Amino acid sequence: MLDLKEITKTFGRVRALKGVSITVDVGEVVGLVGENGAGKSTLMKVLNGIHQPDSGTVEINGKTETLRGPRDAAAKGIGMVFQEQSLIANISVAENIFIGNEAQFVRFGRIDWKAMGEAAKRQLDKVGLDVDPRTITSELSFMQRQMVELAKVLTLEEAVDGNLCILLDEPTSVLEQAEIDILFGVIRKLRERAGIIFISHRLDEVIEISDTIYVMKDGAVVERMMKADATPERIHHLMVGREATGSYYKQDERRPPAEAIALSVQNVSRALQFSEISFDVHDGEVLALVGTEGAGSEPLIRSFFGLERTHLGKIVYRGEDITNTSPGRAVAAGIGYVPRERKIEGIVEEMSVQENICLPLGGRLTRFGLFDFPAIARKTAGLIAKLRIKTPDGSTLCANLSGGNQQKVVLSKWYRTDARLFLLDHPTRGLDVGAKEDVYALIREMCAAGAAVVLIADTLEEALGLAHTVIVLKDGRQTARFDNTGPTPVTPLDLIAHMV
Amino acid sequence: MKQFGKLGGLIPWIALVVLILIVGSFDTTFLKPATLIGLFADSATLFLMAIGMTAVIYIGSIDLSLQSIAAISSIVLALLIPDYGMLAIPAALLAGVLFGGLSGVVHAVLRLPSFIATLAVGGVVTTAALYLSDQRSIQIDAQPRLDTLSWAIGTMFGVPNEVWVSLVVLAVALVIEQATPFGKAMKAVGCGEAAARVAGIDVRKIKIVVFMIAGLFAALSGVVLAGRLSSGSPIIANEFLLPAIAAVVLGGTSLTGGTGGVLRTLVGTLLIAVVRTGMTFVGVNVLAQQIVFGVILVAAVALSTGRAPKGVMK
Repeated sequence: MLDLKEITKTFGRVRALKGVSITVDVGEVVGLVGENGAGKSTLMKVLNGIHQPDSGTVEINGKTETLRGPRDAAAKGIGMVFQEQSLIANISVAENIFIGNEAQFVRFGRIDWKAMGEAAKRQLDKVGLDVDPRTITSELSFMQRQMVELAKVLTLEEAVDGNLCILLDEPTSVLEQAEIDILFGVIRKLRERAGIIFISHRLDEVIEISDTIYVMKDGAVVERMMKADATPERIHHLMVGREATGSYYKQDERRPPAEAIALSVQNVSRALQFSEISFDVHDGEVLALVGTEGAGSEPLIRSFFGLERTHLGKIVYRGEDITNTSPGRAVAAGIGYVPRERKIEGIVEEMSVQENICLPLGGRLTRFGLFDFPAIARKTAGLIAKLRIKTPDGSTLCANLSGGNQQKVVLSKWYRTDARLFLLDHPTRGLDVGAKEDVYALIREMCAAGAAVVLIADTLEEALGLAHTVIVLKDGRQTARFDNTGPTPVTPLDLIAHMV
Repeated sequence: MKQFGKLGGLIPWIALVVLILIVGSFDTTFLKPATLIGLFADSATLFLMAIGMTAVIYIGSIDLSLQSIAAISSIVLALLIPDYGMLAIPAALLAGVLFGGLSGVVHAVLRLPSFIATLAVGGVVTTAALYLSDQRSIQIDAQPRLDTLSWAIGTMFGVPNEVWVSLVVLAVALVIEQATPFGKAMKAVGCGEAAARVAGIDVRKIKIVVFMIAGLFAALSGVVLAGRLSSGSPIIANEFLLPAIAAVVLGGTSLTGGTGGVLRTLVGTLLIAVVRTGMTFVGVNVLAQQIVFGVILVAAVALSTGRAPKGVMK
């Protein structure tokens, strides 16, 4: 019923969608998977009329349509259940279901609440949710709200003649297994009357519920497979797969780590994020944390830097207890953090290269409280040369640098403070191959100088290419630990087996 | 200002020269150096408050309590001068620092938006000022005024001391802004709070200290004002808030934080002063001048570029 043909969409210099074609029939559940940034969300926004495609066509029931916005999309039979829930917390369930469509209940200028309540009840019955429609939405559990969201989309059944297409954007990411089973039951029932697009990072779920699976990577569909052919390993490989070549990761420069323990993580837990994680990182060692999206590695690495609190356990850095430290203290202790959100947390775009490099300096490189500008200029020039940052000079605003060079500025921030532990969260995200290799060389150099590195890599190949040790996380728990320096190399498939 | 490139910072200066020439064409005495210096002297109290406001706006916040703080410090000064002489000045300044710090704590620790935090603190301060002064103005007698405040209200080398005080404050503020880690931390908080945090900057501390600095400069403005008017009064700085914000924004400091600085506030204040004098020349009612400042503020903010993506106020 829904036929997308060669959809492209470009934002500035970023080609978010490069000619994506997807077909959804009535009675079919289509699974859509891909890493963050693969273009799934952009595609959903195109289908919801929020973005207009640059080229390509959207056909609904054989007719080419232009979707002018969520309302227009809804009128044409496309409903979306949002990843971030769109319900308004302080009004009733019935009001939420019919928000924007209250006109049908107006009698003599006032809303007939009883009629709306009854209509809402009928919608809730469709998804098997037994709550009073007059309940204030904030009193519902997360699962119940998700169901209300679905019920709201299902009002399209009455409003639209013909078939529906329902988009579910990561509906299961915060649900428990029992709740997921209920949701899947509802989806299977819906199938009789609608085509469904199901997006999730949990690959086993996608395979369970879908008839057809599209794998997206870098704004394009790289594979369309039937349920019978799908395995989590195969999908994962397609999503992230990039073959490691030669000494791309400078494996030959990987030296054995020293004896001294730089960071000791002892049974740390944070409610709903990760639990009972333990490992040691030695001087000169690269330890990679791998796991699917939301497995917990992100909040874990942030907790070492004081950006997330831990609830249980102990974090020791070179003999000093740094559990629940603050970023200020972490920097003073010699810990450097390269955040995933480069433009938000990594650099201040409206400050110059030199100003950014100076930010974590605190009171160093000053004389009588004032900056020692000649010394700072020398340092900056040295770092620009050393890291091969492509910038006219140190006074150029970081906003004017390319992503790769911005990332080098972030790395240089920590390179010059005598950081002894580096927390690298997707340090090569969005970089081109050349810039990536520069980053890899830098990581090797840090280790050679005796620093320890905790890494969340962009791909499994990257993790295996760089790390001495790999810790696998799944749903916030440590499921495996691999020594990557042994005689038989660890493969991505070995890791995936513990990830999904 | 990004789209104007390096010229962006010059636009207010060009506007200032043009405005001075326009007013001068009505009355050439306006162009005499003595008149222009007098103009600056008359704007010094506004300038001091605007310097404090610049610091707050630079970190992306705003302080609506500064005129109340100037008022209470003028009262503290007037009340203490008869018994304590010179010591009244640090006491008045301390009052400003404390109330500024209070705003900072409410904003940074309790995480209230700064305009609500400072509106509330401003209300408290205004009431405290009314209570302390018994709702009237408190005279400072001629002799103690001369003894303790001549640094602010006399002249040196034929130039009014208000001008010297302003220039010293400007120089200090400029050095802090440009050449200290604190100044760079302020800038980072203003245009990239998350990145500042990750760089190990204690964002909360920076915010509180900046509000204390704003309180200090507002109090200094109140002290100089009390010296000029020979009294402290709970309404001494009324009608200062709007021109102070207008001076900052007109100079080119962005309300979203992180760009601009005290040098820009100098030209902004001078612009306001020239506009005010110009209106008097043209014959605009004094009461109607606030309308003009309101319009100027809206126009200056609306014309400044690049504010849409960041939202307006933290």
